[in-house]
Parts: sequence; structure tokens; C-alpha cells
Amino acid sequence: MPPIISTRDLRKVFRVIDRTPGLAGTLKTLFSRKYSDRVAVEGVTMSLEAGELVGYIGPNGAGKSTTIKMLTGILVPSSGEIVVAGLVPYRERKRNARNIGVVFGQRSQLYWDLPLIESFELLRAIYHVPHDRYRQNLAAFSKLLELDEFIKTPVRQLSLGQRMRGDFAAAMLHDPKIVYLDEPTIGLDIVAKEAIRTFIAEVNRERGTTFILTTHDLADVERLCRRIVLIDHGKLVYDGEVETLKEQYGTHRTLVVEFSDDAAEVAVAGAEVESREGASVRYRFDRRTISADQLIRRVADTYAINDVTLEEPDLESIIRRIYVEGYAA
Amino acid sequence: MIAFAPGRAIEPYVEFARKAFSREATYRFEVLTSIGSLVLRVYLLRSVWIALYAQNAAPAGIPLHSMITYSTVALLMSLILEVDGTRLIRDKVREGTIATDLMKPIDLPLYFFSEGFGMTMFHALTILPSLLLALLLVRIDVPGFGALACFALSFVFGYFVNFFLNFLMNSVAFWTLETFAIQLMVRWASDLLSGQILPLTFFPGALGWIVERLPFAAIYSTPLRIYIGELPQSEWAGAIAAQMLWLALFAALSYFVWRAASRRVVVQGG
Repeated sequence: MPPIISTRDLRKVFRVIDRTPGLAGTLKTLFSRKYSDRVAVEGVTMSLEAGELVGYIGPNGAGKSTTIKMLTGILVPSSGEIVVAGLVPYRERKRNARNIGVVFGQRSQLYWDLPLIESFELLRAIYHVPHDRYRQNLAAFSKLLELDEFIKTPVRQLSLGQRMRGDFAAAMLHDPKIVYLDEPTIGLDIVAKEAIRTFIAEVNRERGTTFILTTHDLADVERLCRRIVLIDHGKLVYDGEVETLKEQYGTHRTLVVEFSDDAAEVAVAGAEVESREGASVRYRFDRRTISADQLIRRVADTYAINDVTLEEPDLESIIRRIYVEGYAA
Repeated sequence: MIAFAPGRAIEPYVEFARKAFSREATYRFEVLTSIGSLVLRVYLLRSVWIALYAQNAAPAGIPLHSMITYSTVALLMSLILEVDGTRLIRDKVREGTIATDLMKPIDLPLYFFSEGFGMTMFHALTILPSLLLALLLVRIDVPGFGALACFALSFVFGYFVNFFLNFLMNSVAFWTLETFAIQLMVRWASDLLSGQILPLTFFPGALGWIVERLPFAAIYSTPLRIYIGELPQSEWAGAIAAQMLWLALFAALSYFVWRAASRRVVVQGG
């Protein structure tokens, strides 16, 4: 089967007005404008199989939403190729729209003043969902997302968690092949986050829906995605399994030691002191040169200790390091 | 799509209109105040005209009862004509939500029209109670069936001219984001030049000649002049043809503006 999404050398350059600061500058910009090019996406090549659940990650301004806009067909690429479910999105915006669903954590696609159910009915009409299918989907999503208790409430009266659940159902009613999620758990409490994550995982497993998940909450990615695509300054910096990235970058672990007294000297061969707070010291060490067991014994042999904790590197700290130091395979 | 199915194709837009209708209906207090303020304005304008006519028997050759009819019917028309569904364009461009709408398989100008139409339909319902209340305070003329039918037709064209004018004005947001200044200007011009407040025959000489030939006249003035019988029957066809001309022109202009606007969105990202 051909990939459901494929891009080749995807590039987007925006023309922006150069603004000169200050009042004189403002007046100058008003009359003579100078433009410069800002490259938002630079040569992204990737390919997704149907049914994948991929985390699309990058710092603010990395080019994530520009990519998503091109995939959804509302932005024309400057150069490069895109094919989504057999269509070139920007050439066939409306046909492509039938294949996709979108959920934005920051903006709702529900009718603000009307009961939730009325937005669903509107979407049924927009996507020409057959009545039987609509009823089936609505029943299934109501059960998974527990919509029944507030389906007749106007959207403006819903809590953020309820609204997001409504938005998820709204995005899925027409059985989209692909769903783009942009910060779907932003601002939610732990329980609501977990409900949303469970829903995504379930739909992905049961219906084979392809998901592209854009988020700053890497717990979403760790929980849901096997594959991660990392983008920075418009360029693809990593595309592969989350586990592989962890192994590659997770060579350093942290041992936190609680000493019995404020020892002046805490140095230990094979590990560096990362930070120190009173009697608690954090050692950073490379697991390829020394094992945790060895290190603990070394520290315990030299000093009197109360307690030790071993910290595994999480995705968050790995990604943070890549943002700062760049990716080096 | 496998077969041409107009019913299915139009369904979303009917649904948009219905939702807009029920959304308007949620604000009941607003309905009451709008009816109340309308009736008040009907009464105030009547008093103003009576006072003015006491000074001058028939300015611009319109008798008092026709003048009161004119201002009352104009106010009732404004219940429909002041509904601007295309305001959505400006709001959505400014908030960036136009992007989410573009991610749906819908035709956006048609969507904006359906929204406006649904809102209009709701406000049309307030015409009857407003009229009945107004009739307690003023007496208005009712023309013959021919004039009434022609007025209705002319009103429909005026409605569409008004729609496209609003559409063009709000589409400016694609370039400037802010449309307040231009809106104020067009609003001011159209209030005065459309004949909503004052029959255009009040404008003297050459100014009157020009004002009657501007597109704004197609919105209020043409149907109202037919209604009060100020326009001789022989000129009805010509007046409606002029409305159709403006309508065609504005529709064509809207088409090109929309094309340029959507190109701008897809190239510059809105």
C-alpha cells in the first residue's frame, strides 16, 4: 500500500515586511516597504503509513503548523510535493477536506451559542454522513467520551475538558482517514488529559485512523506515539522511533544521592556532579562507562549515605537537549 | 461525488441558515429591545416629520402621509437590511479561525450568505409584531397590488446589493485586518445616500441627480419610491433594471475580490 501521507522536499517561504523600529521607522514602513523572505519549512521529506500515530514535535516557530496547513490544503507550498490519501491537498482543498479531521486545543470548531448536539448535526450535513453511520458514530463517541451528560448544553457553558471531548467527537463523526491534532490536551487537568489520550489510542487501534499529533506535552507523545518526527528551524532533525531516540540520547542517567551529612567533598570517579543542594547531590553519568550499581558502590564506599534514587532520562529532557544542542546521530 | 445531487449539495447551507436562525433566537431580550427601539424610532420620526411639515407644506413634493409611510417602511426594512452575516468574514480573518473553516469541504462565500440569510429570516419574524405595534402610533399608506409586488421584487434585489456591499467591505479585512474606518465610511455614506433616513429627492439639483444614480440608492430608495408611489409606474422597470445592474456588478466584483483574498490566504497564510 502506498503511504497515506507523503511529502518530498516540502518548502514554504513567507514574504514578510521589514519593519524599522521607532516612530520614524513606522512612518518609513508606511510609505516604502522592504520585504524579506522567511523560510518556515525547509525541505521536509516524510512518509506516513495508514494507521500510524506520529508525534510531530518542535519548538515554537519551528514550522509545525505551517506543515499542517500545507497538509490540510489551506496553504500552497513554495516548492516540493505533497500527496495526502492520493490527493494534492492545495489543488483539491474540498475533496481533501472530506478525508481529514482536525482538532485544535486552542480554538473550537463547535457552535458557541448552540447545544453540542446541534454542531454535530451541522457536521453531519457538511460531510454528508449517512444517517445510520452518523447515529452509530455518535453512539460510539458518546460512550467513549461520556458526552451524554452535556450533549444538550450550549457549548459556551461547557468546561474546557467537556468542550475538548465535544471537539474530538466533532472531528471524527465523518470517519476521517487522517486526523490532525494540534495541542489537543493543552490546559486540561490530568484526568481529562488521560480521557483524551485513551480516546485517541482507542480510535487509532479500532478504526485504523492515522493521527498526526502536534504537542508541547511530551507525555502525550510518550503515551501514544511509537514514531516521532522532530522539526527545528523548518528542517527535519529526527524521524524514527521514540525508543531509538531514547536509547541514542538516553546514554546519560542521573543518580541522586542523599548524604548523611553535608560533606565538603563529594567527587566520585566516573560521574560528574550536576548540581548540589545541601546534602543532596545529583551525579550525571554515562551508562556505557559505568553502571549504576558500580557508581552507587563507589559513592557508598567513600561517603556515608542515606538514600539514592536513579533517574532515567525522559523524552522531555532528551528533546530539550536536542533543541539546545542540535541533533547529532 | 457519484451522481449530481443538488439536495445533498445544498443541505449544509440550509443547515447553516437554520443554525444561524436558532442562534439569533437564543437572545430573546435583544429581540424585545430591537422591536421596542424600532417602534420608538417610528414614533420619533413621525413627530419630526409632522413638525417639519408644519413649516413647509410639502418639501420635495412628497405629502406628509407619504413621508410618514416612507420613514416607517424604511425602518421596517432596516430590520432585515441591517443584519450583516458577512461580519463573520472580518471576525474570522482577525481571529484566524478562517483557517479552520477552510479545512471543511464547504464553499465559504455561500456559507457566509447562508449565515446571513438565517439571521435575516429570524429578524424578518420581528417585522410583523413591530408593524402591528407601529400601527398603534402611525397610519401608513398601502399601495395597490402591482406596486406592492414590484416593491417586494425591488426589495429582494436591494437585499442582494446590500449583501454584496457588506461582503466587499468585510473582505477588506483580508488585506488590512481592521475594517473599522472603511466600515464607518461606507456605513455613513449608505445611511445617507441609500435613502434610509431621507428620500433622495431631498438632495438638490445635480447632487440629487448623482445620488439617485449611485448604487446605494438600489438598497432603500428604489423599493421605497415604488412603495409610496413617488416613482411613476412607467419607470419601475428601468429602476429595477438599474438595481440588477448594480447587483451584477457587485457580484462580479465580489467574485474577484474573493478569489484574490483566498489566493492571499493560501500563499501568505492569512
